Amino acid sequence: MSYDALVVGGGISGMESAITLGDMGYRVLVVEKQASIGGTMILLSKVFPTLDCASCIATPKMAATVHHPNVTVRTLAEVEAIEPTEDGRFQTRIRSRARFIDEALCTGCSLCETACTVAVPDQFNAGLIGRRAAYIPFPQAVPKKAVIERAGTSPCTAGCPAGIKAHGYVALVRSGRYESAYELVLEATPLVGSLGRTCYAPCETACTRNQLDGPVAIRRLKRFVADRHLAPEPASPPAPDPGGGRVAVIGAGPAGLTCAWQLARSGHRVTIFEASSEPGGMLRWGIPDYRLPPAVVAADVANVTRLGVEIRTGVRIDDPVALRDRGYDAVCIATGTPVAAALPVAGAELDGVTDALTFLRQAKLDAAPDLVGRSVAVVGGGNVAIDAARSARRLGAARVRVVSLERRDAMPAYPWEVDDAESEGVELHGGWGIAGFVGDRRVLAVAPRRGTEVVDATGRFAPRYDDQVTRQVDADLVVVAVGMTRDDSPLAQLVPTEPQVAPLADPQTLATAVPGLFAAGDVVTGPSMITTAVGQGRRAAAMIDSLLRGRPADAAAFDRQLPAVDPAEVLGRQRRHTERPALAARAIDPAPLGFAELEPPMSEAEALQATGRCLDCGVCSECHACIEACPADAIDLGQADEVESMTVGTVVLATGFRLFAADHKPQYGYGRFANVVTGMEMDRLLAPTRPYDTLLRPGDGRVPERIAYILCTGSRDQQVGNPLCSRICCMYSIKQNQLLMGALPLADVTVFTVDVRAAGKGYEEFYVQAEAMGATFVRGRVAQIEETATGDLLCHYEDLEGGGARQAEFDLVVLAVGVLPNPDAHRLFPDGQLRLDAQAFVDEVDRDLDPGRTSVPGVFVAGTAAGAKDIPEAILHAGSAAAQAAAHLERIGPDR
Amino acid sequence: MSAAARDPIEVVRDEMAMHAPIRRALADGPHTIPELAQALGRPAREVLVWVMGMRRYGEVEPVGEAGSDGYVRYRAIQGAGR
Repeated sequence: MSYDALVVGGGISGMESAITLGDMGYRVLVVEKQASIGGTMILLSKVFPTLDCASCIATPKMAATVHHPNVTVRTLAEVEAIEPTEDGRFQTRIRSRARFIDEALCTGCSLCETACTVAVPDQFNAGLIGRRAAYIPFPQAVPKKAVIERAGTSPCTAGCPAGIKAHGYVALVRSGRYESAYELVLEATPLVGSLGRTCYAPCETACTRNQLDGPVAIRRLKRFVADRHLAPEPASPPAPDPGGGRVAVIGAGPAGLTCAWQLARSGHRVTIFEASSEPGGMLRWGIPDYRLPPAVVAADVANVTRLGVEIRTGVRIDDPVALRDRGYDAVCIATGTPVAAALPVAGAELDGVTDALTFLRQAKLDAAPDLVGRSVAVVGGGNVAIDAARSARRLGAARVRVVSLERRDAMPAYPWEVDDAESEGVELHGGWGIAGFVGDRRVLAVAPRRGTEVVDATGRFAPRYDDQVTRQVDADLVVVAVGMTRDDSPLAQLVPTEPQVAPLADPQTLATAVPGLFAAGDVVTGPSMITTAVGQGRRAAAMIDSLLRGRPADAAAFDRQLPAVDPAEVLGRQRRHTERPALAARAIDPAPLGFAELEPPMSEAEALQATGRCLDCGVCSECHACIEACPADAIDLGQADEVESMTVGTVVLATGFRLFAADHKPQYGYGRFANVVTGMEMDRLLAPTRPYDTLLRPGDGRVPERIAYILCTGSRDQQVGNPLCSRICCMYSIKQNQLLMGALPLADVTVFTVDVRAAGKGYEEFYVQAEAMGATFVRGRVAQIEETATGDLLCHYEDLEGGGARQAEFDLVVLAVGVLPNPDAHRLFPDGQLRLDAQAFVDEVDRDLDPGRTSVPGVFVAGTAAGAKDIPEAILHAGSAAAQAAAHLERIGPDR
Repeated sequence: MSAAARDPIEVVRDEMAMHAPIRRALADGPHTIPELAQALGRPAREVLVWVMGMRRYGEVEPVGEAGSDGYVRYRAIQGAGR
């Protein structure tokens, strides 16, 4: 589709120009950056001096625009560039922003709004009230289609390797929808309770709130919803999809369980083969009970079996390929890294030297050595080493020393784990490598030597030692925690010839070299975080599902999400942030005994306090409540912006105006005093679609009785750099005076003004009528406003008719803010091509004889983009601009 | 009255978390904005934003006109909310 004319802006002027050009037979494209056309006029209460309902007279114009056969309207779209070409036309670039709603399906029912869990200030109500991230701009919106406001992916969500919508479940908890929050996590993984306790929370590392007063307690919120989750009574599992396949998963750790869960949800029949006696992998056998009680793992596993997944424990699979011959359409190998790495030093074979996996498993089975009063040395600096050390303390060891190659501040274990271990009495000896273990059949001590380097210049692990500096650490038990590797024995047909460099599976599709065989989790990546393994399980399931459904594996689609929001952009949305401290850290017992869970559950009050700290970085939280609520299935969070280039013959700039920012007159207290509002805010308060149920003052919801207007706020004011009269403030104030006195017959309305400018047809009569209705016009300048203890406002003013300095008290003060130029139009053109006037409105090069013509031939300006105008003037001006544009089109002839 | 005014974005953002406390406060009958503010221990200007947000999405409604004190009373709509 090509267009003769581009109209930038869908307010009253843009609509008028578009309709006029369309009536002449030209093909017109209107580009409006908001989600509805209508501009400012549709938001007004009434228009002056006729007091016609603004909505009633604007909506027919809006309908005429969108239904005009020659006019196409793009809302939520922006013109990014306009370049004149040699033949008198223009090359333009237009970005249509994603609505994340299928417009063809959306019925405008508003159910997505009602379900939405994020509140943001409603720009269509001057910020007096909140709307939702999913919203329809206003009741008369054209098109009446919902939009989901998304600034990007929230950093917490973007930072989750498991693909869990962290922001989403935080927002659901904030809304009191705990079970929905649980279900949202379930969309990614069945391991809600386990991750809520043991995840190292990369979401919290990414949380924007880190830059204020600490991250939102996202992980603990996940635990909160898991703790509150009411597991349904055991029921018959859902019948598998007849079109689904039969899949074997080897290994019931985080990756395997997640893979099986996702495949079962997709309708496949899944069997998990697990070598050990219980499912859970490292969750069951590697993580101490004080961090993760077995009952929690069992509850998470039950999520999987409830879907009909069969788990066969005690079954070791030595030949995964052979499973295909047993009728499985696909196999996922998720066997993890169950082999403890050995430390090749003297004495490693002594009794009393064990590996961390064995030790932790013994502790889980209540089969650990008797350590009461004994000394334990743990070798290693990772999280497993810390788990082993803290477990040893709980088993009664009098002295536990962690000997690590890395110095304390460089230990691979997470800093808070290291801190907690120290608080529990674990001694840290960083910067020591192990020369050997000392003993005779049974170990007596560890013999460390000073480590001088851990990695080489390339970052590769290459420890160096100073053998002259040694020591001896007495130990009754030595626990070696220097790494874990996969068990290659069942992978003989799959392991690449150079296992050190070649991956077991394609990192994107997780497909192995054998068709139909996939691998996921630590067996592919090496030891990693649980959440990373979960993400691998999800990915494998998606790829296997594609294979079984006959679709190509689309890893790019699996990974697709909006870019993460820049935290600086998030923090920049607010002028000030209230400090909201994170939850207090729990007390640590310096001599812990037993394996009772350490971290207490979050109370509901704590959960709400935590969620209240969320900054809603991405705006939409991706909680999926709208998806659930939409009866038309119209939500499409996968949409993306579309950019297109096109040539047009002429451009009409109808970019409108902006209002003076009232807080630039600090003496009036706008933004500090709740009952000081702007004229636009008052228009919203008076409109039929107003934000409140009736006319109330924003400070406390009381119906105001004494109302003051201060005219020329930000107009005719050299102090704020705007010497111009805004031309509409007097009249809209008088209009509001009349509406107020109609709505509140007992109200006193006072207008502070130097003079009233009522130059227009019927305007003077309108002014006189307001006076006759009871409005008091005081010739005076307000110098200062003070707020009283009750929120009333004390105006100090100079009475220009001889009264001198006076003061008067009001319930509500309205600042009649002026009109300023909108800088948008200027940015559309190459530097300097579009000339602006002294106040930065679009300059009309011959305003007397050729109104609407700009400095760029073929570009015309309509309405308030050229200067302050009332509505009739703006419409006249837009008609003139359309006529000029039509003449230009005739001059340049048809586009060939 | 407004010495500690918070950023409007922050106030609006809190609306979702305030729905349940406001519904609880309205459980014993209709209240004005200042009464709710006292019950919740939050500024009236903020409570107004939250209550009007709830009104907009069908969770509360006004009870008649403003009383002689100039305040409207609001009640929770039965069955609304989550």
